Formats: sequence, C-alpha cells, structure tokens
Amino acid sequence: MLPDPRETVLVRLARAIRQRCADHKGDASMQETLVQVRGLSKQFKRDNGETFFAVKDVTLEIRRGEIFSLLGPNGAGKTTTISMISGLLTPTQGDALIGGNSITKNPLAAKKMLGVVPQEIALYPTLSARQNLQFFGKMHGLGGKELDRAVDEVLDLIDLGDRDRDKVDNFSGGMKRRVNIGIGMLHKPQLIYMDEPTVGIDPQNRRRILDTVLRLRDELKMTVLYTSHLMEEVQEISDRVGIIDHGQMIALGTVGELIQKVGEEDRLIFKVGEQPVAEALLRRIESEAATATRARYERREIANSDAGALATAEGILTVYATRGRKALPDIIRLADESSLDILSVEVREPDLEAVFLHLTGRALRD
Amino acid sequence: MLRKIWVIAYKDLYITFTDRNLILIMIVTPLALASIIGLAFGGFIGGGGSDVPVQNIPVAVVNLDQGVEFGGSPLNQGQTFIDLLVPQGEPDPENVLHQLTDAVELETAEAARAGVNAGDYSAAIIIPPEFTASITTTQTQTELTPVQIEVYASPAAPVSASIIRSIVEGFSNQIAMGSITIASTIGALTERASTDPLFGLQFAAAAGGGGFNPDFSAAFSPDAALIRIEQQSVTGETAAFNPLVSFGSAQAVFFMMFTAMAGANNVMEERRAWTLQRQIVTPTPRMVLLLGKMVGTFISCVAQVIILILALTLVGSLIAGELQFIWGTNLFLLALVILCVSLAASGVAALVAGLVRTPEQGNTIGSIISILFGLFSGAFFSIDAVPGANVISRLTVNYWGVEAFNKLSQNQTDIGLNLLVLLILGAVFFSAGLFIFNRRLSV
Ligand SMILES: Nc1ncnc2c1ncn2[C@@H]1O[C@H](COP(=O)(O)OP(=O)(O)OP(=O)(O)O)[C@@H](O)[C@H]1O
Ligand SMILES: [Mg+2]
Repeated sequence: MLPDPRETVLVRLARAIRQRCADHKGDASMQETLVQVRGLSKQFKRDNGETFFAVKDVTLEIRRGEIFSLLGPNGAGKTTTISMISGLLTPTQGDALIGGNSITKNPLAAKKMLGVVPQEIALYPTLSARQNLQFFGKMHGLGGKELDRAVDEVLDLIDLGDRDRDKVDNFSGGMKRRVNIGIGMLHKPQLIYMDEPTVGIDPQNRRRILDTVLRLRDELKMTVLYTSHLMEEVQEISDRVGIIDHGQMIALGTVGELIQKVGEEDRLIFKVGEQPVAEALLRRIESEAATATRARYERREIANSDAGALATAEGILTVYATRGRKALPDIIRLADESSLDILSVEVREPDLEAVFLHLTGRALRD
Repeated sequence: MLRKIWVIAYKDLYITFTDRNLILIMIVTPLALASIIGLAFGGFIGGGGSDVPVQNIPVAVVNLDQGVEFGGSPLNQGQTFIDLLVPQGEPDPENVLHQLTDAVELETAEAARAGVNAGDYSAAIIIPPEFTASITTTQTQTELTPVQIEVYASPAAPVSASIIRSIVEGFSNQIAMGSITIASTIGALTERASTDPLFGLQFAAAAGGGGFNPDFSAAFSPDAALIRIEQQSVTGETAAFNPLVSFGSAQAVFFMMFTAMAGANNVMEERRAWTLQRQIVTPTPRMVLLLGKMVGTFISCVAQVIILILALTLVGSLIAGELQFIWGTNLFLLALVILCVSLAASGVAALVAGLVRTPEQGNTIGSIISILFGLFSGAFFSIDAVPGANVISRLTVNYWGVEAFNKLSQNQTDIGLNLLVLLILGAVFFSAGLFIFNRRLSV
C-alpha cells in the first residue's frame, strides 16, 4: 500500500479519502488510545561501569485496533522498550499507561490486558506444545473448559493441531516460533506485544506469521505492538510505525507520512567495487542526469573477506532522483565518460529503508 | 494465588520427574551408593564372625601410653587396647576384631603415619603418652582430662578407615565408661575386656553415646560403632543398628542438597530462557512466582527423600530376609524430619539462587556448597581428625538431618533441637533468598 511517487495527486487524494472512510467505518474506537508511553527512558551500566541510555525519552501512543511497529536496527532499544511497558524492567524515567493503568504503579491491572511474545523462544522444551500453552494459559488465569477451548483454537491458528502432543524440543525453528506466538495470544488479550517474531525464520514461515499478525488485528480485533529490524515486513503490516535508533524515537507516523518526509525520491544504488569516484563526477550527475537531486559516494570496508586476494572494500554510489528510471541512462553515460565501471545497479522506490537512511545516514541493516 | 503457586510448582515437578537423567541423579545414584556401602556392612553384621566381607583391614597401632600406678599395680589402658586388637600369635577366629583387622604394633607414630601414607595401612591408631593418666582418677589426680586417640586414616580407604574409627570409638566408650562410673573396678573390667572382647563391647554398647563420646560425623556416627552388633537403646528396647540408615540418610541428604540447589537455580535458568519473564508479564505477583518455584523445589526434595527411604527399606528387608522398617517406629517424627530437612535445604538453595548472577554461577556455587556440606557432615569419611570440624559440621543441614534420622531409627525421640535448627535454617534462608531475589528482579 505504498503511495507510488509517479501516481497523480488526484489518485493519491482519492486513496487518502478512501482510507479515512475505512478508518471511521463501524467503530470510532480506531482513534481511542490504548497504550500511552510518556518520556520513557532506561539507563544501563556497561561492563566497564559507565552508564548509557538504552532507551531515551520515548513517547508514543498506540491506538486501539492498530498494528503499531517499532522499527530499528539491532541494539536500537526495541526490546528494552517493550520490556519496560510490559513490566519486566523498571523505567529509569517515564511511565506507560495500558488502558489507563500505569505499568509501574498498577502492574497487575495493566498486565491483565496484555499478551507478550518475547523475542526469545521462551518455551519449556521438554513439555509438549499443548502443555506449554496450558501452563501459560493457567498463569493468565484461564482454567477448565475455557482453557481447553482456547488451547485448541490457538493450536489451530498456529497450524499445530496435529503435533500438539509432541515435545517442543523436537519442533523445527519455525514451529517453535509459532508456539511462542500462540502463547502470547492464548488468553485473547486486547493488546499483544510481538518482539521480532519472525527472527531467524524461513520465508514460508515468515509469511505465515505475518498473516497471523494481520488476522489478530482484522479478525480478533486485537491491538498489536510489533517490532522488527526488517523494513519490508513493517511496511507491509503496520498502520503506524515508530523508527527507533540509539534508544531514541527519530520518526513516527504512517508509512505514507514517513515516506513523505524523505521527499518520495527514488534511490539508485551503483556498486563500483574498489574504484574511487571523483567528486567532479558526483557534481556532474547532480546537474546533468535527468531528475537527479543528490549523489553520494561511500566506501565500505568488507570486514569478512577471508582471502587477501579478494576485494576488501566496496564503493557505493547512491543517487537520489524523483524519477529513478529516467535518470538511469544519463548516469550510466556519465559514468562511462569518466571510465567508471558499474558492477551492479539497483533502483529503489521510496521505502522505510530510505527514511532511515535519510534520518541517520546509515542503512538499517548495518 | 495459591492456585498459581501450585500451577508453577506442579509444572516444575512434572518437568523434574519426567526427566530420566534427573531421576537417575536424584534417586538411583544415592540409592546405589547407600546400598553398596550398606550391603558391605549388612553382610558383616548379618553374617556374624564367620562370614565377614570386610575383613583384614591393615592397621598400624602405636601405643605411646606411659600408664599410671593404680592401686599399687601398673595400669596401661593403651596396652589393653593393643592386646585386644593385635593378636598374640595366630589370629583368634572367634575374635571379631582379629577377623576385621590385620593389626600390627609399631614403635613410633611417625612410622605408622608413613605406613598409611605409603598405602601399607588403611589407618594408624596412635595412643598418646598421657592416655591412661588422663582418664583415670587416682588419689593424686581427681580430675579427668579429655584425651584423644589419634586415628590417622587414609582417604583412599574411607570405609576401612571408618571401621577403624568405630573400633577406637567403641574402645574409648568402654574405657571412659569405666573411668567415670566405676573407676575403682576399672582394672578388673579391662582385665575382663581384654580376655573377653564381647564383654567389653557389650559394656560399651550399654553406655550408649554417653561420657567420653566425641562427636563423630553423622554418617559414620558413634552409635554406628561397628563392633557393636546389637545396641541397647535408652529405653532398654533392643534396636538393631542398621548401617543402611546412617549411610542411606547421609546419601539421601547429600543428594537432596543438589536437588534443592538445582531447583532454586532453575529460576536463573528460566530467566535466561525467558520463560521467567513470560511469567512475569502475566498478572501474577512476583512473590507468587518465586514461591511457586520454591514450593516445587521443596516438594522435589521431600519426594526424593521419601523414595530413598522406601527404597532403602526394601534393600534392608532384602538383607534381613524379611520385611523390616529400618527408620524407627515414630512415623510422625520421621515425617517431620523429612519436611524440616527439605525446608532447610530449599532455604539454603533459595539464598544461593538469590545471590548468584548467572545459572552457571548458581550451578558451581550450589555444587560446592552441597559437597562441602557433605564433606563436613561426614557423608564420605569421618572428619573428626580435622580440627574444628565438629563445629563446622553443625553448620550443615546434613548434620542435623542425618543425626535425626539415626536417632529415630534407634527409637530415640530427642530430636527437638535437630528440628528446631532445621526449621530456623530453612525459614531464615528461605525468606532471605526470596527477598533478595525479588529485589533483583526489579531492575
Ligand atoms: N540488561 C542490560 N544491561 C546492559 N545493557 C543492556 C541490557 N539489556 C539491553 N542492553 C543494551 O541496550 C541496548 C538496547 O538493547 P535492546 O535489546 O533493547 O535492542 P533491540 O532493539 O531489541 O535489538 P535487537 O534487534 O538486536 O533485538 C543494547 O545496546 C543492549 O546491549
Ligand atoms: Mg530485541
């Protein structure tokens, strides 16, 4: 559902109106705030004794019925944030209200509304899938027939109905992930936190998990807080996204809003190997290539090159252009004139990756 | 809340008791150890003098005793012992001590110790120069002073060494009893004891644990004096001494410490596996989570001890050839001891779990403490030769527990102090552990 930069203003307007209408269709609860996070900070001690903020002054709201994603690279502070707003870590500063209940002052009431899927596969390996679900169901206060029914439903939803009596230890990574997720939604919480639920999963299982997340919102009317460092999935499933880096929230909004921030430019990425790129060429591309606005050259050391004979550095030429495909022939010509060999080309339409790059100067995957 | 405590405890118990390896460590290993040792002694005890599986223990005896003048004639208690133990000429097949040991008299303590070090003897018995003087009242000396017979034992032969210790112990009891109660007839008594060892031994047995009795480790307890075939209990009832009780209960408590440590340390492991965090995010107070964990640990300990007690009873019955319950007749007190020992062990374990940083640390420190407790309570070999060990042994859960089991098995019921100490150990450590751990979770 990305806005295509090439579509006319009119089409875009029409879509925006349709979206508005969809938002207000049925219940007005879409706008109701379910989670309110205010000025949340967490300070940790490093091994050498100095302190640092893993999360700093994060403020956000999650509305009822939406999928809100926290997107950020490894170590950005996603898990730390989730841990604080689920009552695992005491915030250094700030607080979070869940359905109006403070997680620090009234944790039990806040936790009643909550389901959590931790990043870690937190299961008892020697228990079966069913036993794992049963145990955590009981911990959430379920019992008797209600528990049995909930367990059966979840087993169905995560597609493990036929393996329910097998030890989790014997499951594949993807199956374990699914049980891990199943436990979080067993007691049908209004709100579910999912911390990188697709980490280390093959594409097929990932697809399944993403579909499950969408079903939680669309069919079970749950509110989802989702974290990931993978922009594709965040972009696909999220209603709104918060981009977090070095513990700080650097941007927040719908995917469309965020992309607008970077001016909706295409990004052309040229790999040039070890060849240097002259400043003069960059300036020529900016002025002569059609619709090009900026050109940058970046040289990255390749850390894991094991053979000395292989290239140890990779040069990357990035050009921003409002119409990428139009600029491409010009750039190739200009490169040719400066006898720069282009090893590969990639044209990227504006996405969250671009937003992150724009805001931090770094790629999300670094 | 109670329901959730039980949900957690049940989950842990289920995991524990469906884990074959754990069961092996918890129950099969201590049972095997106790049975092997028990059978060795069981055979000796059941079979009498003719059928002695443990026999001819090489032992060196050194008598440095200078003796005293007593009623005009020389009295040397050390020599009495030597006469009792070391055969003049051929070993007497009727003499249990001659069957059991292969005693050689040496001139110097140094030679004896060197012999033990070299592996020639399992133990050396060294009777000090002032031995008779210390334990005999005469006109000039009316005070008795404590004196120690040194048993220099090889750790390589713990069972043999402990038998030797028990022999010395029995002898000491006999002499001490004579000195204190009927000093005037001591000459006659020892005279008779030297010609009729069984008389001496029975005499010592009648004395029970009184008087001169130094505190021996619980596992090889003084009452376990192996030269005593039958023991008269305080009430006058005949209570068969059963090594399965001493060895069995020592092994049971020793291994139960590991169970307790592993149970408490499991909190740390669950923290690493994030299953603890997963419980914390449920609407459950943290204290309930920790209590559930510790209740599970406590029940594991209780179950382990009960299973071991029953299994050892079975082994004992097989040895005796008839069904016999070797743990005494007071089942109520027996149950209390089991509960208190388990509580104390869980308490110590809870404190360890509260103090360590990682599960690995918990494992290591837990094991070290369990082993130290075992060592200092004498689960492997007697530690009476180590100075101060008697005091240290009283700091262990094992000491109080094993002593209580032994007393009960002999139908002695004076175990109030044992129960009290165990309860206090349990309650204090348990609370401290829970408190510290709860605070550690709020980071
Ligand atoms: N208990 C802790 N003590 C000290 N530092 C910590 C602790 N927990 C997290 N950190 C640090 O805080 C920072 C944020 O960690 P966090 O786990 O929140 O990142 P994340 O965004 O979830 O990353 P990932 O995508 O790898 O899961 C990291 O630098 C991490 O090393
Ligand atoms: Mg994380």
